[in-house]
Amino acid sequence: MDEELIGFFREPCSQCSVVNWGVTEEGGYYCKSCHNVIERTVEVTDPSCVTGSRVSAISHGAKKPAKQKHGKDWMVCEGFQFILKQQAEALLAMGVRPELKDDILCNFWRGYLHKSQQAYTTKPLYSVTSQQESDSCPESLAASELSCLSKAETESDMDGARSTISGWSSDGGRLSSVCTEALDSSLYCSARERRMHHLMTMPMTLAFLHLSLLWLQEAITLADLLRFTAEGHIPYINAYQNFPEDMKLFGRDALIFRVESLPSYKMVQEEAHNLAIFLDLPRFPPLTSACLLHPSLLCLRYLMELNLPDELHVWVCWVMQQAGVGKDTFLTYDPWAEKSGLLNYDILASALIVVTLKLLFKLDDQQEWCLSNSADDENKQNQDSSIFCFRKWYKTVQGALVVAKEAEEQAMARKSWKSQKPVYPSMRNKSVVIKRRRVVEQLQAQFQKLTGSDPQPRQDSPSSFRLRWGEEDGGGPSYQGRRLGSAVKKRKGSARPSNPTYWHTALSSCKPRHCTDHFLEMEDSLPRSYVSVLGMVSFLLGVQETHVHAEVCLLERLLFKRPCQPRTKTSHGSRRKK
Amino acid sequence: MYATCVTLKFTRRCGEAARIAMDDISAEWMTSPVRDCGSDNDVSNDDDDEDDEEEEPIRKRSKWPDLPIPAPWYGETSKETGFHRSSRLCLNQIRECLLEHRWQEAAEYLISYFQTLEEISTPRQLLATEIIFRLGSEILHQHPNSKLEDVNHFFDLMKNTGVRGYLKISLEHSFHLLLTGNFDDAVRQLTTAESWRYGKQSAVQADKMKLIHAYRGFLSYLSWISKKGSSSEDDDGDVSAIQEMHTYFRQACISLQEILKLPGVWDPFVVGYVNMLEFYNDHEGALNVLKEYAYDSRFPPNPNAHVYLYRFLKRQGSTEKKQIRVLKILGALVPSHELMLELFSLLLESGTEQSLKEALDVLFNLLDDCSWKHSVAAWTCFRNMIKLLRRKKLKHLLEEGWETRKDWWPAFHFRTYHARADFQLSRQLLLMKVVVASTLVGNKCMYCRRKNELENEREARRMIKTHKKRKR
Repeated sequence: MDEELIGFFREPCSQCSVVNWGVTEEGGYYCKSCHNVIERTVEVTDPSCVTGSRVSAISHGAKKPAKQKHGKDWMVCEGFQFILKQQAEALLAMGVRPELKDDILCNFWRGYLHKSQQAYTTKPLYSVTSQQESDSCPESLAASELSCLSKAETESDMDGARSTISGWSSDGGRLSSVCTEALDSSLYCSARERRMHHLMTMPMTLAFLHLSLLWLQEAITLADLLRFTAEGHIPYINAYQNFPEDMKLFGRDALIFRVESLPSYKMVQEEAHNLAIFLDLPRFPPLTSACLLHPSLLCLRYLMELNLPDELHVWVCWVMQQAGVGKDTFLTYDPWAEKSGLLNYDILASALIVVTLKLLFKLDDQQEWCLSNSADDENKQNQDSSIFCFRKWYKTVQGALVVAKEAEEQAMARKSWKSQKPVYPSMRNKSVVIKRRRVVEQLQAQFQKLTGSDPQPRQDSPSSFRLRWGEEDGGGPSYQGRRLGSAVKKRKGSARPSNPTYWHTALSSCKPRHCTDHFLEMEDSLPRSYVSVLGMVSFLLGVQETHVHAEVCLLERLLFKRPCQPRTKTSHGSRRKK
Repeated sequence: MYATCVTLKFTRRCGEAARIAMDDISAEWMTSPVRDCGSDNDVSNDDDDEDDEEEEPIRKRSKWPDLPIPAPWYGETSKETGFHRSSRLCLNQIRECLLEHRWQEAAEYLISYFQTLEEISTPRQLLATEIIFRLGSEILHQHPNSKLEDVNHFFDLMKNTGVRGYLKISLEHSFHLLLTGNFDDAVRQLTTAESWRYGKQSAVQADKMKLIHAYRGFLSYLSWISKKGSSSEDDDGDVSAIQEMHTYFRQACISLQEILKLPGVWDPFVVGYVNMLEFYNDHEGALNVLKEYAYDSRFPPNPNAHVYLYRFLKRQGSTEKKQIRVLKILGALVPSHELMLELFSLLLESGTEQSLKEALDVLFNLLDDCSWKHSVAAWTCFRNMIKLLRRKKLKHLLEEGWETRKDWWPAFHFRTYHARADFQLSRQLLLMKVVVASTLVGNKCMYCRRKNELENEREARRMIKTHKKRKR
């Protein structure tokens, strides 16, 4: 009977800052954890009561407001819808076209709800046990969902939804219990159900965003999306914090909405592909060379970010042509095409750059340094530094990367993951969870005072570029305007790389699923400069080196289209290039 | 009302179901004891058994030596969540900062590290409590801006967060207060801790409670000492001061007696207790306490116990025989103990052939140890011993000790460069060692030859000096 009484009084104990009050026989509050009795006594609501019965009288009075506090009933997909809406709004704030939210994402979401039988269906996945409500509830839910996502939010719909639910709850059904977790959260807790009905997960919200961005052909690649998420520009970690007041998370909801890590590139990509198939999406709009996602334009961006000379772009485009990866038939995503899987445009573009570098500088730990020497000589002769020198570039970029990596690690160490509004696994643990949160806040406040540091660290505005060159606070001098010089020579009127040979790893493709990743076992045998370039590129994209390497191998396979060679380790099997 | 045990079930994010069963009162399903850390193992033994299933990893780890931070959880794994990666990196950063005494930066990182307190998995959460408590107290102790209120506030918070570590944190708190010179606050802290009750929790921490009592008694002893100092100043003083002193004495006695019954290393407690007993002329009692401490086989071997006993006997002026007996035991434990020279002179005084032999053994053992290599006193004793043996025509005694050492002592003590080094250190040392070397190894040994050269050089230099002086 104390429960309700204590519900009123939520102040932390002055001694141990716990909210765990008990009521003494005299009606005073005492702290259950440190046994501190405080001055305050239980307020008597009904003055006519005699002292002996006043506690029970209060407990009666407490029941009603406690009920209202629980908020309305809600479905898990409503929560995800809310998160998606917030994420889409964050993208719009970054300058993405407004169609993203109202047309594309909204349609995808509707399609998803329909396909997964969560709404817009006569046979809803989760049906409310109470018979009279079984049809009205999902319907009203769907209505409220739509109004929530699109801008036309009609109050009457919301009110309607609320009234049906509250009317239902007044029967003394579910709401008389204390928990207020989402109605269907139990479904999400079994892995089998999740897989069978393709239920939402947090990484899937990113998959939704990725598909919508891809459909719109916006310049935000998956790597960018993940980076913005990690930097907190797109709500993801603790996104449930901003749920409306009447959607309260409890118990199992935590397992669905609480996030303790960011999904990997591969994972989101796979999720997005599976989602596209599940949604039965048609072929995406053709990706022409005017789109920002086209490799030639992406390459321009990455050349700039890697501080490489613009002159290289011609060569990148040439490689792209030779490999045949610039055509829209290759680039456009079709979920039902034979070669299944989403293209990773950003990794493809950076692999193009790596291949170009290999073509011009060979990257075998010898040729590139020889070329650097001759570039130095040329610069000396001309008494300027207009010729691109690989060695200087390498030193500059490597130095900047080391600094950037360190900064990233420090930022990771300082990253805050825990929500300000913790979710209670159960009523029993509520006091402990609240106490813990309060202790953390108090400790943080104390140490902030001690160090005199800012409680809210300044957040940089989102940017496509991680490294800046040629600026005062940038990573170093810009090599953008440099010429390639002797790395390229004219022969018969056309330019050729002066480096005569090209090396590549074994071209034969491995059996999928049988062997996964050759990069780790090969890494030691590969030339150091190649591995460092891979490291730079993969750091910029936030993926692992092995992904970039796999993409490079794929490109090489396309470049040297030939019947499969015997799978020998021709790590330096040089090949003349015309 | 607290006795019932309830099993509550909850599923973790990763889907595996964890069974956690524990005490009702503590609703502290996240706050089990920080038993994984070092000395807490003994506590966990008498802890409730219902935690078995869930505490499996801890049980396994306790087979390893008691290191405060267990490694397995902190390695980088492929399945590591972002949150855990953050906390691992953050801990590494803090560790770096602490090692390089960058307290400000460490405190800033600690702000981010506090979130690990909200860890979902219980073992990790326990560990986080311990780590934060350790790091926080160290940083607060060292940070230039930290004030006593900050420290007190921090300790109070930590005490109520990890209730299962309450007593340990209280004890640390009082240590901190003592370090900063707040004696009275430290006493108050321990007194509060003594009366702490928290259902089953206080029973589980019984071992800690004994320590708390002991330190409480020790602090009473310290107050007793200060009272003693002030009352002896103004001679007979007033009665109340003496009474107060007696009160402290009684308090200290009770607690210290208790802790001395338990096996362990209680050096400061023993010294204090004996000191008080001696003051009140209870020599018999003091002797018993010291004997118990030194000879009880349940106690871990502790050289200091014998040292205290010897010093007590010496103060009491007891017979040499008794003193020698104690020192011999000490010598068996620590052959290179500094009191061995005293044992040597005691043995010499008795003068029998047997005791001379023993004295020689003591010297040999002493000089086996590196730390005595350059001790003038030890080598002088050796030289005197040789002289004495020669006089008494007992030189054969030397042979026995030398037999086992003749293959390594020359290299260990009597090389050419030893002579040079010894000469630089002190000429006295060189002269003493030469006598020993020539007796043991022979006149033609390297050490002696080098000594002669050095002496000649020295003589030559002196000649030149005097020559020059005369010239002037």
